[in-house]
Amino acid sequence: MARYGMLINTKKCIGCYACRVACQRQNGLLPDENFIRFEEREEGTYPSVSVEHVPLQCMHCEDAPCAAVCPTGAAHIGADGIVAVDQGRCIGCLYCMAACPYQVRVRNSQTGAVDKCRFCVVSAHESGTKSCNCVDACLTGARIFGDLDDPDSEISQEIARTHAAPIAGDLTKSKIFYVR
Amino acid sequence: MTYEPIWGVIIACYLFLAGLGGGAFVTSTFLRWRHPEAVNMIRIGRVIAPVVVVIGLVLLMFDATAGFHNPLRFAFLLTNFGSVMTWGVVFLGAFTVVAIIVAALDLTGHNVPKWLDIVGAVLGVCVAVYTGCLLGVCKTFPLWNNALLPVLFLVSAVSTGMASVLLTAIVKHPEEFNSVGVLKKFHFCLPIIELALIASLMFITASNASPAGWNSVMSLLAGEYLLPFWFLLVGVGLVVPTALETWLLFFSPREFEESRKAHLISAASDAGVLIGGFVLRLLVLLAALPITMVVPWA
Amino acid sequence: MSENMMTRRAFLGASAGVAAAAACAGGVSAVSGAQAFAADDAAGEGVTRQVHTLCNACSSKCGFTAYVVDGKLTKVIGDADHPYAQGVLCARGYGYTQIAYSEDRLTDPLKKNAQGKFEAISWDQAYAEIAEKVKAIIDENGPEALAMVQDPRPSGKYYTKRFMNALGSANVYTHGAACNLSKEAGFTQVIGTGNYESDVENSRMTMFIGRSYADAIRPSSVAALQKAHENGARIVLVDPRCNNSVAFADEWVPINPGTDMAFVLGMANVLITRGLYDADYVAENAVGFDEWASYVRTTCTPEWAAEITGIPANTITRLACEFAEAAPAASIEPSWRGAFGCAYANSGETARVVCLFNTLLGCWNQPGGALLTSSVSAGDLDKEKFPSVPKPEGKLLGQDVYPLALSGMGSNVYAAQAAKGGQIKGMFFYNSNMAAGYSNTAYLAEALGALELMVVVDVQMSETAQLADYVLPECSYLERMELPEFIGGKVPCVALRDQVIERVHPNTKSCDEIFSELAAACGVGDYFNFTVEELAEAQLATVGVSLDDLRRAGTISFPEKAFAYGSTPKWKTPTGKIQFTSEACEKAGLSAYPVWVEPEVMPDAAAGTLRLIGGKQAHMSHTQTANIQDLMQITKDYELDRVWLSTEVAEKLGIADGDEVLVSNECAEGKARVKVTERLNPTALFMPSHYGCSSPDEHTAYGVGLRQMDFVPFHIEPGYGATMSQEALVTVKKVGA
Repeated sequence: MARYGMLINTKKCIGCYACRVACQRQNGLLPDENFIRFEEREEGTYPSVSVEHVPLQCMHCEDAPCAAVCPTGAAHIGADGIVAVDQGRCIGCLYCMAACPYQVRVRNSQTGAVDKCRFCVVSAHESGTKSCNCVDACLTGARIFGDLDDPDSEISQEIARTHAAPIAGDLTKSKIFYVR
Repeated sequence: MTYEPIWGVIIACYLFLAGLGGGAFVTSTFLRWRHPEAVNMIRIGRVIAPVVVVIGLVLLMFDATAGFHNPLRFAFLLTNFGSVMTWGVVFLGAFTVVAIIVAALDLTGHNVPKWLDIVGAVLGVCVAVYTGCLLGVCKTFPLWNNALLPVLFLVSAVSTGMASVLLTAIVKHPEEFNSVGVLKKFHFCLPIIELALIASLMFITASNASPAGWNSVMSLLAGEYLLPFWFLLVGVGLVVPTALETWLLFFSPREFEESRKAHLISAASDAGVLIGGFVLRLLVLLAALPITMVVPWA
Repeated sequence: MSENMMTRRAFLGASAGVAAAAACAGGVSAVSGAQAFAADDAAGEGVTRQVHTLCNACSSKCGFTAYVVDGKLTKVIGDADHPYAQGVLCARGYGYTQIAYSEDRLTDPLKKNAQGKFEAISWDQAYAEIAEKVKAIIDENGPEALAMVQDPRPSGKYYTKRFMNALGSANVYTHGAACNLSKEAGFTQVIGTGNYESDVENSRMTMFIGRSYADAIRPSSVAALQKAHENGARIVLVDPRCNNSVAFADEWVPINPGTDMAFVLGMANVLITRGLYDADYVAENAVGFDEWASYVRTTCTPEWAAEITGIPANTITRLACEFAEAAPAASIEPSWRGAFGCAYANSGETARVVCLFNTLLGCWNQPGGALLTSSVSAGDLDKEKFPSVPKPEGKLLGQDVYPLALSGMGSNVYAAQAAKGGQIKGMFFYNSNMAAGYSNTAYLAEALGALELMVVVDVQMSETAQLADYVLPECSYLERMELPEFIGGKVPCVALRDQVIERVHPNTKSCDEIFSELAAACGVGDYFNFTVEELAEAQLATVGVSLDDLRRAGTISFPEKAFAYGSTPKWKTPTGKIQFTSEACEKAGLSAYPVWVEPEVMPDAAAGTLRLIGGKQAHMSHTQTANIQDLMQITKDYELDRVWLSTEVAEKLGIADGDEVLVSNECAEGKARVKVTERLNPTALFMPSHYGCSSPDEHTAYGVGLRQMDFVPFHIEPGYGATMSQEALVTVKKVGA
């Protein structure tokens, strides 16, 4: 079975929020339900400054702290390795939000349940969709989605080429890799 | 970027009431051991314990909106024994049952078996410790993720539990209040221990490798939460009770200690402890900032 | 797994699958996803329709495919064939679709009653009353007392102009004077046309002045910039603010705002004095070079420019030399509103200098240079069906005072002044929020308040609509078909905004219906005896395309009209040459060749004044996008309504990041939170341009942030007629300090 992951090249990210809004609209989320969070860092002093935009979303960790703390089993790692939230089990205690080191889980203000990036392409994979909505929407091609276990996949090759790494090292065995 | 705390007043109430309930039960058990004659105060603790814990649980369920709207989902709560919250459910459930039985036995004039009191007290301590562990396992928050927090919450739980029993006794049974010297001395020590624990928590959190620790501590000591921290928690909740009790216990004449005036002073001190106990939970929830990947939260 | 989860997953799978299947088929066939969608909407047929249409979140009007399931829009995907979208949309493109379902939509025609409150009336009543007032104004003051302000959209620009001309008035203004008028007018004086395109992706060096592809997004522009960067082109950003395009740039030149002209003059000096310019090209294609050159040589030294711009002389010299080395695969990008679209007293003249500098590089129509690409437009139509409207007798009002303003745009701020002075009695607004964005808001409210008749056609209750006597509700861009949009470029093309969904509010109408019916009520209906489809079909027929074909394809290009590198453009100037000197400019009271013009006001560090500058954000561009929940939530999440202050000034004033500050000047004052940053020139205060909504009926936007135009005095750029949106000084102090 494929081990899905994503690569985000922050050197190509212009912080335009297209991925966030595409994700929300195409997945039918609420306006305040955002699966992609941004951190922006300014470096240097005037006038030699640079700015880095880092989009963060569910890292689909192999050691998922959310699944570890979830009292009801709503937050779980699916058979395909994708971290999921069973909306019908979630009581909205928000413990997973407190446990997630990346703060990328959000509470649905209508249902009270917690949700987050679902690697939406995979649920659509059987139908042959090209990629996740955020990947498709990215104006600069900063995102690549694919099978981390397939050495020939674009993502594996790009990770090897760019030495991309998870944002927080080995913290949770995250499956999103960053070029920074 | 400003950080929006995950939990707020409702969960602070819950943490406070759960600790208070456990503490009140422990107080009753303590009284039975050292002041068996104070039957009314023992009963007070036994009544307070289940009542506040149940209120706390109701608040908790209310805050868990998705469950509140679909109550059957709470049945899933016992699935993941790797979760501290699941253990909390077990402890709280067991404690609530024991506390209700003990209260019922006492109120109906039956004798409460000693072993049941001990079981209840142990569960009460578990509940109090759990409220700290619940937060403590969240690795992302330096203010929570340390071994001091559960101990601090335990001490605070016992302190507020005792304060609640003493306060009620001042109103309902002042004569018994005058007689429980050992309890009072014990109770007197707790805010002092708490002060030491809070100071340690601040030092250790501030020295966390991530700026989140420093920022959390600074928001309490010198930032957004400066006033509630120094005035309500440290002042009203810890220093003032300690000062008042020090004076009452060690410097005032014995006759004064049993006067109505002294009772009022004690009542003020106990009320302060209760306020401080709640503010402690609230501030620990609100001031905690998570470690971030790139830019620290402000 | 719960039932909830199942349906959600099934839904996702299905919608994506449908998209994929459709992409393979390449057609507009209805694809059935019955099984999958049945779970989500048991009542529906589960049929997905795909419609090609054009976005309306900004003026780029990118093409996309809308996926409609059971009448509801579910997904939008940028059209790969559309030259601006190139397969993707920006955040606004996704978010702005929600306008159709917004709770703030106007649903019925409104009339302001004696108490100043709006009440719903019928279309017939609205038309009859407006027509009566129009006739009264014409009878008393002539048709030149009527005016129209519109932000051009495919149908809007046609119908508004035709309507006004049919009434006998030439007073049709675009938003231009508050956007790109100075730039286009200045360019026109030099190269005879209002715009050109920098061939960024093939360039060896491109300089952007005040424009940021990454903050005012057109996907194709971002792609070109990225490609240029990856190809190793030298990308230079001249901007008081280190904007987000810096991701693909090599250098940020933190210029003092308002001094871009001096900067370009300084670079021109280097090219001329060192003989680095393309002398042959200039000799062959231009007139008046010597006069300008002697001015530039003697006055505009890099040291002189450094003094004004705050950029070291050696930087100016180095950049000029780099340009010379990269030429002709190099240019200064034309910009848009940016630094010289309408910002300063010298904006029009800055635009001229930019064109002249590109001329020195000899880069016109060279690969990687500045291109005058080709375009296609509709030819003559059947005069029976589409009779020509006689040319109005009067001239566009303001043309004599601001002769350099392009006649296709006019000076809308002058029109406001004329309304205040009583020269214009009746005004129409289409797709324009003039009151909030074109100049000083207090002045505009007073000026428009003086009108006898004010009619606003819009989809939501903008600040301008609040001032109106009649508000006519248009259906949103997703609910109407419009005229074909002809797009110039390397390969010119035509695209179509088609109707995507049924009208959400049945009593709303499209722009073509509104103006046709209004024309009929005013007695000039004979010019509107056709439907928008008939007109579209006829226009397309003149270029050999059928409406059905265009509907199927979304975008159709004309490769036979493609632009070819290396050709010498036909200069449409009076002299037929590139004009270093312009008679028209001289007649307008300016110098025949462009000489340095001081901005109207200059910030003074000692007095604590800062220049107020504005700009777009990637997720927001106009007051209309600010009322979209999905987009405004981003602003709220990241406090993007904050004003930017340089660290240097903030430290001096004792202001820390996140503090609340009071921004004030002679026009207005207001409180805002502050972002303290190293990314800003210390003489400036940056305020995002689209916030500060004061219309309580726009519930999402209302009250968020400050409004730049509250702080800008009402004044007009000499000669060019633009609003001078950045000729404003403010002071800041910490609230409570």
